[in-house]
Amino acid sequence: MIQLTNIEKYYANKGVKNYVLRLVTTTINQGEFVSIMGPSGAGKSTLLNIIGMLEEPTYGIYNFLGEDVTNLNERKRIELYRNHIGFVFQAYHLIDEMTVYENIEAPLLYKKVGSAERASRIADLLDRFNMVAKKDLFPNQLSGGQQQLVGIARALAAQPSIILADEPTGNLQSAQAEEIMSLFKKLNEEEGITIIQVTHSEKNAQYGSRILHIADGLIKEDMAVVA
Amino acid sequence: MFKLNLKIALRNLWKNKTSSFINVIGLAIGLAACLMLLLYVTYEWNFDKQGKESANVFTTMTNIFGDNGKTAVTFEGSTTAFGPAIKQGLPKLKYVARMDYGGKNLIANGQNAFKCKSKFAEPDILKMYDYQFIQGNPNTALNSPNSVIVTESTAKLLFGTTDVLNKIVRFKDQFDLNITGVIKDQPDNSSNKFDYLMPWSLYETVDESAKDLNWSNYSFITLIMLKNGANLDLVNQKIAQIEKKNNTDNQQSQVLFPLAKLHLYGQFDDGKSVGGAIEQIYLFVGLAFGILLIACINFMNMATAKSEKRAKEVGIKKTIGANRSSLIIQFLTESMMLTFIAVVFSIALLELFLPTFNNLLSIKLDISYFNSSSWFGILGIVIVTGLIAGSYPAFYLSSFNPIQTLKRKIKSKGFFSVSLRQVLVVGQFCFAIILIISTLVIYKQIQYIKNRPVGFDVNALVEMPQDGELKTKYDLLRSELLKSGAVTSMFQSSVSLSHHGRNFSGIAWEGMLKATNNQLFNRVITTYDFIKTNGIKLTDGRDFSENFASDTSAVMVSASAVKIFGYKNPVGKTITIFGDKFNIIGVFDDYVWDSPYKSNNPMVVFFDQKQTGNITMRLNESNSLQSNIETISRITKALNPAYPLEINFLNNVYAEKYNAEKTLGILSNLFGGLAIFVSCLGLFGLVTYSAEQRTKEFGVRKVLGASLFNLMQLLSLSFMKMIVVSMIIAIPLSYFLMNKWLIKFEFHTEISWWIMPLAGFGTLMMALITVSFQAYKTAKANPVDALKYE
Repeated sequence: MIQLTNIEKYYANKGVKNYVLRLVTTTINQGEFVSIMGPSGAGKSTLLNIIGMLEEPTYGIYNFLGEDVTNLNERKRIELYRNHIGFVFQAYHLIDEMTVYENIEAPLLYKKVGSAERASRIADLLDRFNMVAKKDLFPNQLSGGQQQLVGIARALAAQPSIILADEPTGNLQSAQAEEIMSLFKKLNEEEGITIIQVTHSEKNAQYGSRILHIADGLIKEDMAVVA
Repeated sequence: MFKLNLKIALRNLWKNKTSSFINVIGLAIGLAACLMLLLYVTYEWNFDKQGKESANVFTTMTNIFGDNGKTAVTFEGSTTAFGPAIKQGLPKLKYVARMDYGGKNLIANGQNAFKCKSKFAEPDILKMYDYQFIQGNPNTALNSPNSVIVTESTAKLLFGTTDVLNKIVRFKDQFDLNITGVIKDQPDNSSNKFDYLMPWSLYETVDESAKDLNWSNYSFITLIMLKNGANLDLVNQKIAQIEKKNNTDNQQSQVLFPLAKLHLYGQFDDGKSVGGAIEQIYLFVGLAFGILLIACINFMNMATAKSEKRAKEVGIKKTIGANRSSLIIQFLTESMMLTFIAVVFSIALLELFLPTFNNLLSIKLDISYFNSSSWFGILGIVIVTGLIAGSYPAFYLSSFNPIQTLKRKIKSKGFFSVSLRQVLVVGQFCFAIILIISTLVIYKQIQYIKNRPVGFDVNALVEMPQDGELKTKYDLLRSELLKSGAVTSMFQSSVSLSHHGRNFSGIAWEGMLKATNNQLFNRVITTYDFIKTNGIKLTDGRDFSENFASDTSAVMVSASAVKIFGYKNPVGKTITIFGDKFNIIGVFDDYVWDSPYKSNNPMVVFFDQKQTGNITMRLNESNSLQSNIETISRITKALNPAYPLEINFLNNVYAEKYNAEKTLGILSNLFGGLAIFVSCLGLFGLVTYSAEQRTKEFGVRKVLGASLFNLMQLLSLSFMKMIVVSMIIAIPLSYFLMNKWLIKFEFHTEISWWIMPLAGFGTLMMALITVSFQAYKTAKANPVDALKYE
């Protein structure tokens, strides 16, 4: 599904190249649950952003669903966001002015899903995440864990084939973190959604099926999680 | 999507109350000011343009030739012979109507007598103006000499109803007239407005000079309507030929000028229209859009200041599938909605303050002066305002790259955004400072003109028109008033002291070098006690006196007239006027009459009991004003019962002469104040946001030991710098502009050096207060609150 070949990323500063990623080559298949781990500044988030097409690599080739997306124009990229990719952020990044319901609805509006279909999908998601009673609340009226649930629900609304999560539990207490990770695991196993997450926590990584260890911009280790 | 955008925009408004308030109120004030000025402009612009064929209506202007073949004076006026002559010789002519200048004259229904605006005209006037007849037949209404057309309000005033056809009214207590028509009131913005209209055939009886067809008395108006597509230049050439044929001894020429242009383009130089009130109209249009622009700038500034917060939203929306155009539409929806809310407020403000505005300017504006096309124009302004106000945030914010915004890499301090915001703020304050300086200079100029000595003491002088019996019984009136002690002295004269009389140039003096004189002289006719009453300084000779029977062929002249004659000892010398010799018996100092802004024509005062029309009295200052006026009223009413009493105080009459400049002063004061208010509102918003963004920084600084003053300084300084920059730009610019304005006046003040720093520091203080308020609040906050988050 995702094929990275010799991905490099550096920032040139006064003629000095500061490498963030070096020669990253890997393949992630449909249905995998990959955790990217590594120390601070290793390039984890940059790698995830490149996968999510939020950043462009300096060199290398990136194939997404068999298509070269290394230098994609904005229109095509947004098409992919609407149909294939869901993002989950550490800081949740819900839209403060929108209610829970509207936050989940927003991607469907952009995708131009009909109103009946929209209503049923949102009802379904609210039901699944036990948030029917909270649908008219604003993000700042929810706890962090609840906000992240809304964030995931929003990512799922457009029925993506892949979810990219940048430290999704980084701001959460451990009980809430466990809830989120179980949810990811369930989504991965039951619905076959590909999940790629960046995490610091060894424990969270164990929920996945594969771990990529990154240090100094290089993949040091690529191992499968043994259940 | 649109509904959601709207909903979210409303929530956004509600959540950010400060910025919403600043945006909506600022924009509403800007729009209201803009609409108010545009209403005024519409009113002025549509002067005399109400008729369907108003573009084909022309009035006759007379050019008087001065020295070296140039035209010295151009004024609206024409002779009695002009109309009939061109009616014969001008094929392009459709209608022609001779009229008098109009005046306030007595009209009565029995005891119910009022002085109202009268007008005499030939019947063709009814075809040029689309008067709306409520009653009567426009084709025959002016045919009989004893007919009169009244307006709706005149009919109501006299009879209490508009159902007055064929009723009789009495004109000037002499003529019984039959009402042949009732028309709707005319709008205020028409030059030939009247309360009642009488036929020219009656005028020939009322004023004998109207009957005689001549080419020398330019005391009438001739309105012409040309056929569609007539070429004015060709018509005027033709008119010149006709005139040459009829008027062999011509010192003047008559030309047609579009009536609808006269009000705004009424200033002539060498016979050519060189502008006039239109300059003020341009100024007001500039002012209107300037204030609106200031409000729009606020809007843009607030939006860009908020960009850091909005950028996050843009980032999120882009990752969930929003494209740029949907974001642009969202931002524009927001600004449009805000604009429409502001429009509602602004129309409310307009309705609320229009009466006050009307009072200030002594006009009667009404929102109905906007016709349907103006409303479309306003809708256009609103949409453009919304677009301008929303465009910068819409296009700027929507271009953000999601990852940068989510990582908070976008600093609102990027080079571009800050410099643009600074430029906008500087622009706003430049405008505000220029307006303040202009206001100060205009006031100083008005003050300067006001303080110019009039030449006599106006305070105890009153005047009244010499109507009806007052003409024949003047001597009786005079002796009774003097006996009563209410008046110490009085005189009758052809015109009010403040007004110009008839101009003439047919004068010759001893030792005159030129064959004919082109200098215009002002003629005033009086009898006894002219100087004694008005107190003008007599520099030589004496006043007219009952002791000298020869005074009927004597004149008094002004000092400027003596200068032209070149007489060393003027008293006893003679001047010849239209063939008659007059002895100079007295010389008086020039005094201010007509326009106080320029020096007036030299003046010759004649003695003639028949040609007076105005009574001027000096009140006895040892009595109370009220008792004096009561005594005068009682005596006058007893002698002249048919006429309502009309006493004018000369100091009021003189005060009215400053009206045009006072209007300008009031407007620039009012809108200057608004401009500053809206600018400060914007500044307040910017500081609020800047303070909000720097809360954490301030917390850290406070923990490190910064004092309250340090922090306030930190926050205020950058804003103060912008104000200083605008001062540097605005001061020389306004100096240049106001100098240009001042030199238009023959008598003008100088721009004092202190005006500039006063305006500059005034603005600076205002801005400082605005900024400090917010800076103090932020600096005073507990650092723990600021640092707790994150």
